Amino acid sequence: MSETLIGKRIPKMDAPDKASGKTRYIQDLEVPGALHAKILRSTQVHARIVSIDTRAAKALPGVHAVITAADVPWQRPIGVGKDHLPLKTDRVRSLRDEVAAVAADSEAIAQAALKLIRVEYAPLPVIATTQQALAPDAPLIHPEPHGADSSAHLKVAGSPVAFTGKPDNVAMTFDYAQGDIAQGEAEADVVIEDVFRLHYVTHCCMGVSGVIAEFDPNGNLLLYSNTQVPFLHKREFAELLGIDPARIRIIQPPIGGGFGSKLDIYPFEPIAIFLAKITRRPVKLVFTREEEFLASPTRQPVLLKLRSGCRKDGTLTFRAVETVHDNGAYTSWGATTPFVMMQTISSLYRVPHCKYHTMAVYTNNPYAGSFRGYGNLQATFAVEAHMDKLAEAVGMDGLAFRLKNAQDPGEITPQGMHFKSCGFKQCLTTAAGRSDFLRKQAENRARWSDPAPVKRGIGVASMLHVGGGAKIYPSDGCGTILKLDDFAHVTLMTGASEIGQGSETVLAQLVCEELGLPLSAVTVVNNDTDITPWDVGVHASRTTFIAGNSAIGAARKAKKKILDAAAAKSGKRAEELGLSGGFVTSASGERLFELGKFLRSLHFSDKADLVMTTFYYEPPSRHQDKQFKGDVSAAYAWATQVCEIEVDTQTGIVRLLKVTGAHDVGRVLNRLGIEGQIEGGIVMGQGYAITEELRVENGVVRNPNFRDYKLVTAPEIPEMDVSFIETMDGEGPQGAKGVGEAPAICIAAAVANAIHNATGVRITALPFTPENVYRALHGASEPPVWNAA
Amino acid sequence: MADIERYKTPTSLAEATEILRAGNVTVLAGGTDLLPQTQAGRVHFQPTLMNVRRVPELQGIAEEGAVVRIGALVTITELLESALVRGRLGILWQACDHFASDQIRNAATVGGNLCNASPAGDTLVPLLALDARVVLAAKPDGAVQTRRVPLAEFLLGPGRTCRAPTELLAAVEVPLPPAGFAGEFYKHGTRPGLDIAAISIAAGARRDGAVLRDVRIAFGAVAPTVIRAPRTEAVLEGRAPDAATLAAAVHAALGEIQPISDVRASDWYRRELIGNILKRVLTHACQM
Ligand SMILES: Cc1cc2nc3c(=O)[nH]c(=O)nc-3n(C[C@H](O)[C@H](O)[C@H](O)COP(=O)(O)OP(=O)(O)OC[C@H]3O[C@@H](n4cnc5c(N)ncnc54)[C@H](O)[C@@H]3O)c2cc1C
Repeated sequence: MSETLIGKRIPKMDAPDKASGKTRYIQDLEVPGALHAKILRSTQVHARIVSIDTRAAKALPGVHAVITAADVPWQRPIGVGKDHLPLKTDRVRSLRDEVAAVAADSEAIAQAALKLIRVEYAPLPVIATTQQALAPDAPLIHPEPHGADSSAHLKVAGSPVAFTGKPDNVAMTFDYAQGDIAQGEAEADVVIEDVFRLHYVTHCCMGVSGVIAEFDPNGNLLLYSNTQVPFLHKREFAELLGIDPARIRIIQPPIGGGFGSKLDIYPFEPIAIFLAKITRRPVKLVFTREEEFLASPTRQPVLLKLRSGCRKDGTLTFRAVETVHDNGAYTSWGATTPFVMMQTISSLYRVPHCKYHTMAVYTNNPYAGSFRGYGNLQATFAVEAHMDKLAEAVGMDGLAFRLKNAQDPGEITPQGMHFKSCGFKQCLTTAAGRSDFLRKQAENRARWSDPAPVKRGIGVASMLHVGGGAKIYPSDGCGTILKLDDFAHVTLMTGASEIGQGSETVLAQLVCEELGLPLSAVTVVNNDTDITPWDVGVHASRTTFIAGNSAIGAARKAKKKILDAAAAKSGKRAEELGLSGGFVTSASGERLFELGKFLRSLHFSDKADLVMTTFYYEPPSRHQDKQFKGDVSAAYAWATQVCEIEVDTQTGIVRLLKVTGAHDVGRVLNRLGIEGQIEGGIVMGQGYAITEELRVENGVVRNPNFRDYKLVTAPEIPEMDVSFIETMDGEGPQGAKGVGEAPAICIAAAVANAIHNATGVRITALPFTPENVYRALHGASEPPVWNAA
Repeated sequence: MADIERYKTPTSLAEATEILRAGNVTVLAGGTDLLPQTQAGRVHFQPTLMNVRRVPELQGIAEEGAVVRIGALVTITELLESALVRGRLGILWQACDHFASDQIRNAATVGGNLCNASPAGDTLVPLLALDARVVLAAKPDGAVQTRRVPLAEFLLGPGRTCRAPTELLAAVEVPLPPAGFAGEFYKHGTRPGLDIAAISIAAGARRDGAVLRDVRIAFGAVAPTVIRAPRTEAVLEGRAPDAATLAAAVHAALGEIQPISDVRASDWYRRELIGNILKRVLTHACQM
């Protein structure tokens, strides 16, 4: 028997190239004859465009095209809300807005040309907060229709060519209810209410956004793109250009980080395409770091009011939530994060009665996209603060209170989520036990009145997240093509994109497990829509689960084909045969045929046959109904994280010392990979909690650089003790569940609870930067208030 | 945007000052301020870019009599590696230990830090507390001439010094503090490394029985330049640092600073920090 690869520590297949600087990212790609593009962005937060004069820019030697909205009257609105024109026509709504674009022989010339474009603006009042946006007399952000003009000749049936405008500043709303909130309130012995304020952050991918667009002489479009959703984007670009999607090919060079930032189509992509079309040359457009800060999506600010109650014995009775999301000027995935937030609100703990009302509100701020955790960091921050407060109010310890309300395997929640595997209680007891949570919590608390300025705290928080895909598109599936060549080398063609998360390695591992081959026998092809089969994209922690099941399906089909042929040849029954160590083996482990040789014999026989299989895996999840009820994911992931901190009450500096995590991951497939994923997620959660904030004042990003936007640096990274709870999910590939987003989700909540444990002060606004914490500790800040108009 | 027309690499102070005399020169040392500033468009290159890194007269750390002479090109790493700096100019050494990252420390020079004249410049705070003076060199008429300017007079405002465009900063001279002088440098940022100070304090004194002598205190990032705090020093001089004295020192300090609110901190928070940290630093100093 060949040894299993499952659970082993396997270095990522792309690691040596990345570590040695050999990986060629989009920045490194040189397409012969390519022009370099730059975008002129608005200098006004909110204004009418009075005039644009591009004559001087066009006259600059080396400039091939300068375009504005007037040059592409057929452009149409893009993105999740279809409220966003790539090039702005008569109005700019945020500082990132694209007003014109240049294609030139070099980046320097393009940059110089931008400076020659004269734009005259007539300023409009700036809506800097959701409160201003909701005021009765607030100016509207999208007052009139915008989009393709009526003369547009490229109309695709059924797709909007124009955004009709909005009569108010509300971009999107969600309402959810289960049970009867009045009854839940009546049954509660303790009721508490708080307002939480969550802040702006952005992804800070090491690889900035970029695209290369190229038309061939027949008008087929080739895009080199960093997108996380190549197949859906083909469709979007086809609509935009009014061409058949079959004429678009997307190749993804190695992507320097995604984290959700590359899940939507953004103006820079169509703009590069417009320029390529107009100049008939390949066009390369890559952001500067500053642009990445200004013009890539954000995790948006949320104001959240939470009211919850429980009985004296600690049983939760209800939870009512209202949120206002700052949508920014356009609607991308950020507006739909309530979809995930409501799962945490309704189903992380058992709550019979729930109500949730939320709206995403247009402002003139940078607009909100999707970001690892997808609203769950915000929801968990509030819910887990209340778990501590309610526990305290009924005189229970935080662990016992959580265990009392935690979900068990088999539960179908009122929202309709079915927890077929659920290691939540084990996560709680493991993380609390390994961190000595209760003892430390009591000790820290006893030291509140000590004179020492530096206090210690410990806090716990847990999370629930989809771990088996998420059915938000008509399909949540992924295809695989698997090919065995005549040397028994496997080419695995998968729809799943690699964005650094290690999916190639884990998919190769799963295939090897089925075919009894070493990892070196597999090549993964995953970045070319002309070759790879369909997939909805890398998001929702879905790739290992969905693409993994798909890869296993294809491998099993190949195995069957090989064993059937081997049975015919050896006279044994196929069921007695196996694949192991590169051989077809008998039940007793005897090596019957060397696999490469056997495959060659298949190719060269009179009944010549190739071993090439396809498989399409669609998870058994369902769409939610109009009331948001239903089982959206085939499996759910759980985690508990305990954070230990130190807070200097004289400076407000919070140091995260240790994170003890317990993660229900179904099963560990690649131990090295999952450790990396969880450690990275913890650090991302730490940044969200303590150091990072995109400072937006009156629509202006004040810190578009790594000097003032503080990512966590190496010396700040805490000690980590991560345990894996292996619940062996029945539907998961080898029992595994998705874990990509999970580790980032509850750090902020646990740190908040730890600050309370250290100081007795509960801070309901993020981030916990020194000044914010110092103000809160010294009564010099206004706690957030509910001011949705 | 004017382009660089000439790149010069003088190999002597005479040659460098001669190039400067011709005018329209940008001086390049480690480039860790100059390059970010020019790329952001805040500073424009002059037609001549002069890299001074090969000028031997600007190198080296030497003790001359009761003065330590630190050449303008001495890097932060070299300061950290100097036993003399570590042993006798402890607060300067500590400031270097809080400075940027290893990569930046290898390139960044003390001369660049001084000429950049940031109110948050890390070496400026201890150098001011240590009564340093800068040596400026020029070649007005055929011969190199130097003048010495106390650091407090050299610094005029954010990014502004009294250095004439034809002058080169050759060195900074630090009188050795009296025996027994000890102190602490504290830099407050939001993280342990790679940060610009939201406030910084260099404080030192000599213990004489129960009381403090030769008290020197300087603050960073709470005024248009780094500043000395003479009134705070006077409150502490000759006194035992008991609670009442510390409170009086904080009171005096708050009268000497004029912090602003910016993306790093509010003026209110800067005041709070100066009060809290000054007490902390002085308490530490008293325990030494
Ligand atoms: C990532 C990063 C982190 C940083 N962290 C810190 C920090 O923690 N603390 C801190 O204080 N600073 C920090 N800085 C700023 C910078 O590194 C320092 O100010 C450094 O000392 C500048 O020295 P330099 O040799 O690089 O100067 P340069 O950039 O070469 O020059 C700076 C200025 O001084 C002029 N100049 C230089 N030498 C002379 C001379 N001999 N005579 C006349 N003019 C001269 C130049 O023309 C220029 O205007 C940081 C910078 C970066 C990029």
